[in-house]
Amino acid sequence: MRAPALAGTGTLVRFALRRDRVRLAVWVAVGAGLTAQQSLGSQAFYDTPEALAAYRASVGSNAATIALAGPPVGLDTVAGAVAFEISFTLVLVAALMAMSTTIRHTRADEEAGRTELVRAARVGRHAPLLAGVGLAALGCAAIAVAIGAAGVATGLPAGGSFLLGASVGTAGLVFAAVSAVAAQVSGSARAAYGIVLAVFGVAFAVRAVGDIEGDGVSWLSPIGWAQATHPYSDDRWWPLLLGLAGTGVLLAGARALLDRRDLGAGVMSPRPGAASASRLLGSPWGLAGRLHRGALLGWAGGLVALGAVYGSIAGSVQTLLGDNPAAETFLPALSTAGLVDAYLGVTLGMVVLTTGAYAVSAALRARTEESAGRAEPVLATATSRPAWLGSHAAVALLGSTAVLVAAGTVMGLSAAAATGDPALTGRVLAATLAHLPDVWVFAAVATVLVGVLPRAASATAWGWVAYVVVVTLFAESLDWPSWVDDLSPLAWTPAGPGEPWAAGPSIVLAAVALGLLATGLAGFRRRDLATG
Amino acid sequence: MRTLRGMTSAISVTGLVKTFGATRALDGLDLEVTTGEVHGFLGPNGSGKSTTIRVLLGLLRADTGRVRLLGGDPWADAVALHRRLAYVPGDVTLWPGITGGEAIDLLGRLQGGLDPARRIELLERFDLDPRKKARTYSKGNRQKVALVAALASDAELFVLDEPTSGLDPLMEAVFRDEVRGLRAEGRTVLLSSHILAEAEALCDRVSIIRHGRTVQSGSLAELRHLTRTSITAETARPVTGLDALPGVHDLAGGDGRVRFDVDAEALDAAVRHLSGFGIRALTSAPPTLEELFLRHYGEELAEEQLPEAVRS
Repeated sequence: MRAPALAGTGTLVRFALRRDRVRLAVWVAVGAGLTAQQSLGSQAFYDTPEALAAYRASVGSNAATIALAGPPVGLDTVAGAVAFEISFTLVLVAALMAMSTTIRHTRADEEAGRTELVRAARVGRHAPLLAGVGLAALGCAAIAVAIGAAGVATGLPAGGSFLLGASVGTAGLVFAAVSAVAAQVSGSARAAYGIVLAVFGVAFAVRAVGDIEGDGVSWLSPIGWAQATHPYSDDRWWPLLLGLAGTGVLLAGARALLDRRDLGAGVMSPRPGAASASRLLGSPWGLAGRLHRGALLGWAGGLVALGAVYGSIAGSVQTLLGDNPAAETFLPALSTAGLVDAYLGVTLGMVVLTTGAYAVSAALRARTEESAGRAEPVLATATSRPAWLGSHAAVALLGSTAVLVAAGTVMGLSAAAATGDPALTGRVLAATLAHLPDVWVFAAVATVLVGVLPRAASATAWGWVAYVVVVTLFAESLDWPSWVDDLSPLAWTPAGPGEPWAAGPSIVLAAVALGLLATGLAGFRRRDLATG
Repeated sequence: MRTLRGMTSAISVTGLVKTFGATRALDGLDLEVTTGEVHGFLGPNGSGKSTTIRVLLGLLRADTGRVRLLGGDPWADAVALHRRLAYVPGDVTLWPGITGGEAIDLLGRLQGGLDPARRIELLERFDLDPRKKARTYSKGNRQKVALVAALASDAELFVLDEPTSGLDPLMEAVFRDEVRGLRAEGRTVLLSSHILAEAEALCDRVSIIRHGRTVQSGSLAELRHLTRTSITAETARPVTGLDALPGVHDLAGGDGRVRFDVDAEALDAAVRHLSGFGIRALTSAPPTLEELFLRHYGEELAEEQLPEAVRS
């Protein structure tokens, strides 16, 4: 006789797997793909002992890289370099997969009222939680095997590859257990996600400080446990036990919390909000500001951090790539003097692309509002169509401008500090400002699609973003025809600070953005509201 | 705008057609709402009520037909007209992270301002906690948010799309009371519903639509002429010959008891005929809108379903 509290777990796991098979497959494919890509890239890049030695010398002393990646161990082999460069990203992927899977099947279901329906059947109190964690564990196991297989398939040692996979999978498991606790503590799935991401952030910070100082503080972080296995060098399996033990303790805690709360409630009671709206919330502009606030701050924080990291690496670029011929495929038109400039031009392009993605997501928020039926009550008031769509477009334009300027400023400051060349601050900022019309085009493309092709807007806008990313990354190295390039705003703007700014392209891009925005607003005024 | 009776018209729709691809959602719909009346807009689900309302609000554009709202064109003059009306959608969706109180203020301010004293009074009457985030509200509570925002405004015209779906009977009573208050103040209400008791309790006139077309329109008294009254009678002697009278339907009974439905114009003759047998007890039930509905749609449905039943 099985424990009644667990009755129905098997059925729920099968059902959850049925709901999530595509999502999980995508997560697993991402993990395997990142591993294979890093493995092939590193093997091509550090193809000589000299290249590897230069890499080791540069990375081993660079605090920013260590903070981002992990402890600099095993860098005397290419396989070790692969583990160093990719392990944190893989842990992030596994943690996000574990978090979303666990919370989706526990708190989110409970919030939507589905758990009530399920629990009213012959399903035990602990079954939904165990099923959610169980599915996440299946996902972690799959991602572990996939990473190991990707390593082996690309020619890395089998033992280390599967240890890397197991380390990542175990870290994912720990975050599944953290999510299980968060799902009990908070009454809303959104807040539970916030708790898990905060825990992940703390774990990352603890590990970063510990790895820079080398004082063992990293043993306090689950991410540190995963990286303490040292795949491809020491090949230690025992740190995995720390992750398993941590998972066990957290799950016991989640279970205890679950036994002490009512269905639908959290341990933390929700704070009551404002009984009346502030003065700001009284116009479409105020509403848009309120709706976009959180996402804008999140993107700004992420992009400023990205700028800081890219800038800080500028100092080691010269030593890192100076005598590596393979670098030419990644950083075109190298000259020794222009090396840092070229590096900053390429990385600034990444910052611009990411900001462009923010601009698209912000402009598409209008479409989300419309299809969810939340535009209807607003447009039934004395709010005009252009004001409503314009408020979202304005946030996309102004928000992406602010984000890009902030990220560019921090990148310039960070690059200046890392290279000891104070002039870089101004030069990077100037190059950033030259890219502003690019991100305006991103916002405008998404807005015109919302205005004219509402039902296809999201897919088309993101398809175009993906196209621009591919063109930016590969067009030059793959020798594609020039018209392929012309559909990307980034191709028109000089990739400063190495290249001189020209007014012509910026004016044309700004005019294109303006024309698209006007078309979008006019189109939205003429069409039916498309709910659903 | 003046109608023949000299009363101004708040809403005037003639021959409205709206298609979505191959679907003809509205197929020549007519609707006339006089200023100051509570007008019931009745029809089964999917008959085109919400589509009509969205055209009236300028959210959808009419393909053909003439649509006037408060003397203006709802598509071209949307913003100016919306200052004078308040709307409650049939399915209220709110912003998950914004509290009910904030949403009420926002919608009220966007519409042109709301009366703070009325807001407090309505929150109390509808028993709504304005400090909760919208994601924690039930359907009924989201409905209340939209109702409070609309009712606290100073609109001339209230467009209410199935406003009581999700409200419990107590809150429904509060809602009815509020609508009666609006009428007493001379405001116009267009109330769409498929709950017929609601329309019976509140409406001066109703329009009944089906498949995007108006099938009947008029006051309840006018519509009752088209319907049958149910009669149950006990008589001293067994009733004979009733089935020979024109306008008598569904006759049943025996043992001195008889039950039948009778058309309005045949009522007098039927009662005279009954009295010849010595009436001991007589109950007559006025037709409800349910019966009116059933008669309108029930017979057509039966005809439509017949060939399918034969085929299967």
